[in-house]
Amino acid sequence: MLDSLLAFGGGLVLLRDSVEWEGRGLLKALIKKSALCGEQVHVLGCEVSEEEFREGFDSCVNSRLIYHDLFRDPLNWSKTGETSPGGPLGVLRAMCRRTDPGPTTIALDSLSWLLLHLPCTTLCQILHALSHQNSYPGDSSPIKQVHVLGLLHEEIHGPGLLGALSNLAQTEVTLGGAMGQASAHLLFRKPQQHPTYQTSWFSILPDFSLDLQEGPPVGPQHHSDLHTSLVDPMTHLTFNLHLSKEEKEAKDSLILPFQFSSEKQQVLLRPGPGQATSRIFYEPDAYDDLDQEDPDDDLDI
Amino acid sequence: MAAEATCSSGAGSTTSVAAAARKSNITSFQRRGPKAGGTESSGPRLVSIAGTRPSVRNGQLLVSTGLPALDQLLGGGLAVGTVLLIEEDKYNIYSSVLFKYFLAEGLINGHVLLVASAKEDPADILQVGPVSSSRFGHYYDVSKRMPQELLEASKCHGFFLPQKVSSTLKVEPYSLTHGYTKLLQFIQNIIYEEGFDGSNPQNKQKNILRIGIQNLGSPLWGDDICCTENCNNSHNLTKFLYVLRGLLRTSLSACIITMPTHLIQNKAIISRVTNLSDTVVGLESFIGSERETNPLYKDYHGLIHIRQIPRLNNLICDESDVKDLAFKLKRKLFTIEVREFLCFSSILR
Repeated sequence: MLDSLLAFGGGLVLLRDSVEWEGRGLLKALIKKSALCGEQVHVLGCEVSEEEFREGFDSCVNSRLIYHDLFRDPLNWSKTGETSPGGPLGVLRAMCRRTDPGPTTIALDSLSWLLLHLPCTTLCQILHALSHQNSYPGDSSPIKQVHVLGLLHEEIHGPGLLGALSNLAQTEVTLGGAMGQASAHLLFRKPQQHPTYQTSWFSILPDFSLDLQEGPPVGPQHHSDLHTSLVDPMTHLTFNLHLSKEEKEAKDSLILPFQFSSEKQQVLLRPGPGQATSRIFYEPDAYDDLDQEDPDDDLDI
Repeated sequence: MAAEATCSSGAGSTTSVAAAARKSNITSFQRRGPKAGGTESSGPRLVSIAGTRPSVRNGQLLVSTGLPALDQLLGGGLAVGTVLLIEEDKYNIYSSVLFKYFLAEGLINGHVLLVASAKEDPADILQVGPVSSSRFGHYYDVSKRMPQELLEASKCHGFFLPQKVSSTLKVEPYSLTHGYTKLLQFIQNIIYEEGFDGSNPQNKQKNILRIGIQNLGSPLWGDDICCTENCNNSHNLTKFLYVLRGLLRTSLSACIITMPTHLIQNKAIISRVTNLSDTVVGLESFIGSERETNPLYKDYHGLIHIRQIPRLNNLICDESDVKDLAFKLKRKLFTIEVREFLCFSSILR
């Protein structure tokens, strides 16, 4: 479903990449796909120059790209008026306020740069405003579908920032790979529904089109073993939950102590040969009364 | 002299009570308080408000949280004037369900609602339909909608942060406390204007104000406790909760707040927030964790932790003995159960 990433709903698509698996190629591939679909594409370039970003795109894609360059003069030192006023914040707010109809894609290259220059809360609020432009009843413009693609270098940021941005994102694509093949782990968060996960293997062709592939050959250690192995509940118990066959037989043949069968009665009444007879030894004490008469004899009952 | 006076007046009152008892032919052991629900007009001494009932333990006025199972765990319901804090689960599915149940319960009982959110429009949040009613609380179906006439008849105040703030600030970024200050002012205005705190004593029926605040503490409210560990203004949220609790205690209102505590990096803030709220319930869902596929947990959708129950006018609180609770959300029912001793249950099956 990597190719249909932009098909459903507006919202923030977060592309998390790392040093080993770079995400700019995928970002450009998604931009090319939106441009070829007829959408308007705004690009906020902060990390690479405009020429470097535009190279590899053919002319029809390049003509649909509206590039806002923050790389050449981010702090507006040249004061020539070419760069947008207000810095990155001004550019983003201007994007929020534009009213041209039709589906739009806004690509932020990269969110990491913006996070280093803007406070996190401001950026989160602006991203939310950008991706939900159609929900304000104030303006009378028709509903526009806006996709915001943000490239985030996840190794630079702490877990708090990553968590806060993932919470905002509708879709999260984490780039990884194995054995030279790039993979994208997708997490779709639809509101009020269970999130769905997917992993796709892909490669980016030189003209920035997306090529989905089968994964690399899977080794013997498959991670689906995790699903089939039952957790043994007896691992930490100090008592037995199951009886072995011999134990079961012994249990069944055991006679209960107060269940009298005839053999048991005879055994109890007749002293067996193995039993030692018991005797009582009596040493009369000086104070003992050795009267042999039964004191109950004079009772006439 | 004063003691004798009180004794005699005490004796006088007992004789008069006995006389009254003899006259009306009832014994002194008969209960004379208002019945639960307050719908029967048997000469109530207290003004009974729809949807509330007094607690059997300490007489505190309780409202239902919308989920009878949760009411039972909290000792009968949520006390009026307190805050229920729900620590959100990771994907905010089940906490939003509880949030909607709370609001839907208010709609059914005719309470006034105040919904505040920075993420979505409050009008979109009320989308739960009622299914059946139990004695104190109802069962709701998340897939149904509330009947339209009920929505129109109800009074609902919405606070959507981007709309409230965007009109005033255009140039500078939102300051950290701005969102919270606006919300507190909004709540205070509603409480004062509609007379929930006893001002404007007109002859109208007393009612409860149910306040729902969604995703408090997230970056969309302008607070950066979820982003960094050592944030500059880490006291904004705690100040907000302190002032909010003061507003609630002096008015007939109950508040539910959902907070993404799994994103808060500084654990000290979480413990401060817990102390400043009255009832704290944490939800932990199994989605995405290794427990989802674990056969021991397959009957449930997650665990629910009752982290704190308030001691209101009491020295002790009714903590239930069971700490191991799990929940599952079926289409019509959100059930909370004690997690069975999983060892034996798997054998007996």
